[in-house]
Amino acid sequence: MTAARARLICLIVFAAALLAVPHVLPAFGATFWVNIVAEILIWSLLAASVNLLLGFTGLLSFGQALYFGFGMYGVALSINNWDVGFLPALLIGIAAASAMALATGIFAVRLTWHYFAIITVVFSLIFYFAAMSTKWLTGGDDGMSFSPPPVLEIGDFSLTLADTTTQYYVILAVVAVAFAVKALIVNSPLGLSFKAVRENHRRAALIGINVFRTRLVAFVIAGALAGTSGALFAFFGRYASASYMFYHVSGEAVVWAVVGGSGALLGPLFGAGSLIIFREIASNFWENYLLAVGAITILVVMFAPRGIAGAWNDMLQALTTRSGHASDTVADTAPAVRNNALPEER
Amino acid sequence: MAGAALRLSGVTKRFGGLVAVDGVTIDFAGGKLNAIIGPNGAGKTTLFNLITGEIPADSGRIEFAGKDIARLKPHQIVRRGVSRTLQIKSVFGGLSVIDNIRAAVLTNRGIKAPFRLVSSFKSVSARADELIEEVGLTGHRETIASALSYGDVALLEMALALAAEPKLLLLDEPICGMGPQETERAVAMIRRIAKRIDVILIEHDMEVVFDIADFIMVMAQGGILATGTAADIASNLAVQEAYLGSPEDELAC
Repeated sequence: MTAARARLICLIVFAAALLAVPHVLPAFGATFWVNIVAEILIWSLLAASVNLLLGFTGLLSFGQALYFGFGMYGVALSINNWDVGFLPALLIGIAAASAMALATGIFAVRLTWHYFAIITVVFSLIFYFAAMSTKWLTGGDDGMSFSPPPVLEIGDFSLTLADTTTQYYVILAVVAVAFAVKALIVNSPLGLSFKAVRENHRRAALIGINVFRTRLVAFVIAGALAGTSGALFAFFGRYASASYMFYHVSGEAVVWAVVGGSGALLGPLFGAGSLIIFREIASNFWENYLLAVGAITILVVMFAPRGIAGAWNDMLQALTTRSGHASDTVADTAPAVRNNALPEER
Repeated sequence: MAGAALRLSGVTKRFGGLVAVDGVTIDFAGGKLNAIIGPNGAGKTTLFNLITGEIPADSGRIEFAGKDIARLKPHQIVRRGVSRTLQIKSVFGGLSVIDNIRAAVLTNRGIKAPFRLVSSFKSVSARADELIEEVGLTGHRETIASALSYGDVALLEMALALAAEPKLLLLDEPICGMGPQETERAVAMIRRIAKRIDVILIEHDMEVVFDIADFIMVMAQGGILATGTAADIASNLAVQEAYLGSPEDELAC
């Protein structure tokens, strides 16, 4: 069995497990955990947005919460003001986040590495404080609630988010589509240009890639992913709040992305999943559980720089390859921390 | 390939008080293998950086195919047909050899297609395989570039430069750091390439330069010291003096 086939089988098992969640967990009296898994799915998209930038384009953003927030408010405001349906509200949320990513990205992607990280934080703080102080529009810290429209309505038949199982499947469907689109993009010619820029931006320019525009496109797609995450989270919580635009949220997404494996497609899901489950369990009996999260992050960065997904892939590779000719063709998963942002030689 | 491959007039670049390139005016003829030699710090690489738009010239014109390219960005200049290799070999280290070249071929053909797999572009892969074969890396198609030997990285970089389908190729010390066998292979390849593409070469190895160059320009302190054929340069007193003045040059590269 090849590593590729083993990966495919694992993926199918994993997908089946996700599909079974609303039926299996309640049978064990863990209905509460259905919503936890739904939440993991939503947050994994925010981590995926960091993953696309850090793992595939070589840009570390500490400001993705801004686009998450625009996704949230896109949904809440459009439902409250224009009374739109589920799908239009979702699309408006994603569009608002993408537009914001375009507007800020034009400035941000001119910079790289720590300068880029700083400007993304600054943008998110500016809009965090703006949202906090325009209470009439955003509800500020209290947020604004709305009643979600039915997802689908045909005659007497209607699907609503009020039903936990329906809500779970709606979230799973949107997240699955987002991950599939992301997978397609990173394996497309556009995705290859992202990787080229990540690997060596000087050489990228010298083969004719417009580095600025390539980074901007990646930034907007990442904004759309964060916006999808925020839009879903708004539907999930039935409200939007400026507090989710704080840099704390951005930082958590970076931790999830790094722990999960920043160059691997499903890394964000593993990272968000393991750390949210850890939070749910540990926070019950230890209020300073974040100390442990910090320690885990440091250990991962030091000993498994390609994260959980990277370690998993290595294990599959080792299990499916006879000793000897192993590591030559490992997929191009990137190390979490790269040195391509060091000042370059003239 | 008649006419000038590249025409520089009064090209100047200062770094603070240092004049790195000082009013260089020269025509590089098409259809020839041109070489630039000169002691370290003469401004050779800076001149390449100016031609490819990586640093802006303070003044002067850089004419390629009859148009001034002095104010264009590097990626625009590549698309006009000027491609280069770097002194410190520069490839996409984390990507496989084939993906390195596919990236360049796709860019050259203007293919972005965000919703199609790279592997579905058969003619791109075919062209990439051709280039891999041309530089002699066929056995390393799937190897991650950072795992290649130094000489192979140089060959991969050459393939990347060729993937842009250039009309003019700038090679910055292409054989520096290579062993005798690798050097022989690379020199043969440069000769072959120069038959169909205009080449300008920066090289420290005099033996190689005198052997393969049709035309040599000698730079010193940012300016042109001499121009001519290998025989002209070898007998030029000013050139001998410039080189005698800095004997460590033969070692450095």
